[in-house]
Amino acid sequence: MNTSMSLWRQRLYRQFSLMLANQPKLGYYLKPLLHWNKPQWHPDYHSASVIDICWETEQMLSIWLKPAASWPGFTPGQHILVTLLHQGRYISRSFSISSSAALFTQQKQIRISCRIQPQGEFTKALASRITSLTELSISDAMGNFVLAPNVDSKDLKTTVMVAAGSGITPLWSMLSSMRCWTSPIVLFYSVKNAAQAAFLAELKLLAAKQPLFELRLIETDISGRLNLIRDLATKADFSLRQAHYYLCGPAAMSQHCKEQLIQQGVPAGAIHSEQFGFALPAVVGEMKQALILQKGKEILIAAAAGVPLLQVAEEQGLNPRFGCRIGVCFQCVCQKKSGQVVNLRTGQVSGDGPEQIQLCISAAHSNLQIEL
Amino acid sequence: MKLNEQQLAALAAELDAVKAGVMSELGDKEANYIRRLLLTQRLCAISGRILMVLGFITPWLWGLGVMLLALAKILDNMEIGHNVLHGQYDWMNDPVLHSQRFEWDIACDAGSWKRTHNFEHHTYTNIIGKDRDFGYGLLRLSNDFRWRLRNVWQFVTYLVLSTLFQWGVSYHELAGERVFFGKKKPDRVNSVSHKELKKAFFGKGARQLFKDYVFFPLIAGPMWLWVLAGNLLANLIRNLWTSTVIFCGHFTKDVHTFTQEQCEGESRGHWYYRQILGSSNFTGPRWFHILTGHLSCQIEHHLYPDMPALHYLTVAPQVQAIAKKYGIAYNSGSFLKQYATVVARIIRYSFPGGKATPA
Repeated sequence: MNTSMSLWRQRLYRQFSLMLANQPKLGYYLKPLLHWNKPQWHPDYHSASVIDICWETEQMLSIWLKPAASWPGFTPGQHILVTLLHQGRYISRSFSISSSAALFTQQKQIRISCRIQPQGEFTKALASRITSLTELSISDAMGNFVLAPNVDSKDLKTTVMVAAGSGITPLWSMLSSMRCWTSPIVLFYSVKNAAQAAFLAELKLLAAKQPLFELRLIETDISGRLNLIRDLATKADFSLRQAHYYLCGPAAMSQHCKEQLIQQGVPAGAIHSEQFGFALPAVVGEMKQALILQKGKEILIAAAAGVPLLQVAEEQGLNPRFGCRIGVCFQCVCQKKSGQVVNLRTGQVSGDGPEQIQLCISAAHSNLQIEL
Repeated sequence: MKLNEQQLAALAAELDAVKAGVMSELGDKEANYIRRLLLTQRLCAISGRILMVLGFITPWLWGLGVMLLALAKILDNMEIGHNVLHGQYDWMNDPVLHSQRFEWDIACDAGSWKRTHNFEHHTYTNIIGKDRDFGYGLLRLSNDFRWRLRNVWQFVTYLVLSTLFQWGVSYHELAGERVFFGKKKPDRVNSVSHKELKKAFFGKGARQLFKDYVFFPLIAGPMWLWVLAGNLLANLIRNLWTSTVIFCGHFTKDVHTFTQEQCEGESRGHWYYRQILGSSNFTGPRWFHILTGHLSCQIEHHLYPDMPALHYLTVAPQVQAIAKKYGIAYNSGSFLKQYATVVARIIRYSFPGGKATPA
């Protein structure tokens, strides 16, 4: 009853707003007026002021933010979409929150830690402008890569965390938010070399203080790639099938670990993974993968370089809206969630964050995620 | 002069280069311009509606309010709405200025506009039988159309269309799809069902009518009649202005029409060629260009519908030079001169005969 009432109220408000302002919410109409001197505030998101910054490693920048009171909070492990007004346009990228739940409850602050990629449009802009930035826009916290509730209660199963590179951020948020330790946690932290390991001092401190926590640092420059199964075999009193797994890092790493674990008989339900971007640039090679989201369904299709995505989708039996097919009418515009496309008319390569693309003149430049 | 395919390809390359020069530089300048304009539009709309109610102090305030509301509607429809719906500001990723989400203060539903205008009109500009905007299925504007008796009074039809222009635009797609009257044309592929077309038409129309003629008069209390009359007048001013500007863009004396055979499988160069010949510009001061939504640069708009419109004036000399180089007529003149030829055209083709204008 209550929900149907509020649904009704929402509908009524929407109709009223459409009638009065031709906008689904009045905020869109009033934004240019009320925030005329704050164009950096994205109307869909919350503003957050930049409190402090610090370089964790040569490549990783940490930013402390104080979100506006409207921001609803987060569960350790979740990520937010960070939006920046750069050269007139909003550019966005998602980042895991790397700070503890306590920092937010006590000081209303959060920290994001961003790996600055020289070819990434967003992180490059962020790094070059960070000293003059006072505000960013952030979305609600998203994602279900969070500790299963039984981990810090009576369940005494071991938790195995695997982080590769900047994949440490959500895991460090989980670890630093732990208040009472009842079961052991082991963290495999794979980095190129120790100089590039963010939060290493904090992790070592935690390992020294907390007997239930074990840190295993893998420097791939020295010992080669992580072999999870082999490394876990050396662990005393440990059964592969009696553990929870949290994997975070490049998609290929997560996928590889997951396959190995499942081969060893670990139930899929015990493996949680956060892929850092489905579309981490697979720029080289003729074929890219495009994950198409349509009406809640996910369809994975192969997209050849140089072929318009509209044609690719149609050949797979999808029927996106289209018009002129020559890049004039903007009928086939749809949301790219991540990945890069190349504009076939100008040859220009897009950024890798969320933005709108014209399907008829865009071809895959990397793996993609698109919403029709 | 007829251009061969090689020349057309060279033409396309030169025009593409002009566009690339502007598009690669898009940034703060354009974003600040459109945001400032959005702010101006909101201020005009809100102050206009308030001033109308204050008409009881002196009717001059009411008059000022009407003018401000008309200005707000014109800015919303022309320099903001029309250009945003073309995707000129999509690159900003701003939900308030995005072609997929924008809706405007006019009876026509934005989705319907994007299909008939962005797609049909801009893709098939001035191709007889494909671009329904050439005469809107109401007026005979060249000898490509058979003369009918109803053409005799088409100047009156034109005046009525201008007066009710927002409704003409809004009904345009439904007329083309023969939703209520007429036999459906077999070659039309419609991507949207008649049910959806009707829903959008009645829904948007009803909201606009309710806003201007019920909601605002009601909350004005004793001033209701003044507000109602003011809103009616503001809508009328907007209708006449938009209609006049648009007629000057495609129906002046020297615009060319094209046959479907001429354009079958056409190259990009021929598409550009057709856009130049099918459109006409008019001159005026800067504020005047803004009020037309830069449709005073109809030629540049048709070449580059997704280029932020404030740049049309800057690329116009380059486009004109390229047109001259390839011997393509570049149709431009003062506003009054161009409008006079529009009126002459409507009257001339009210009667049988006349020149056919294919390029």
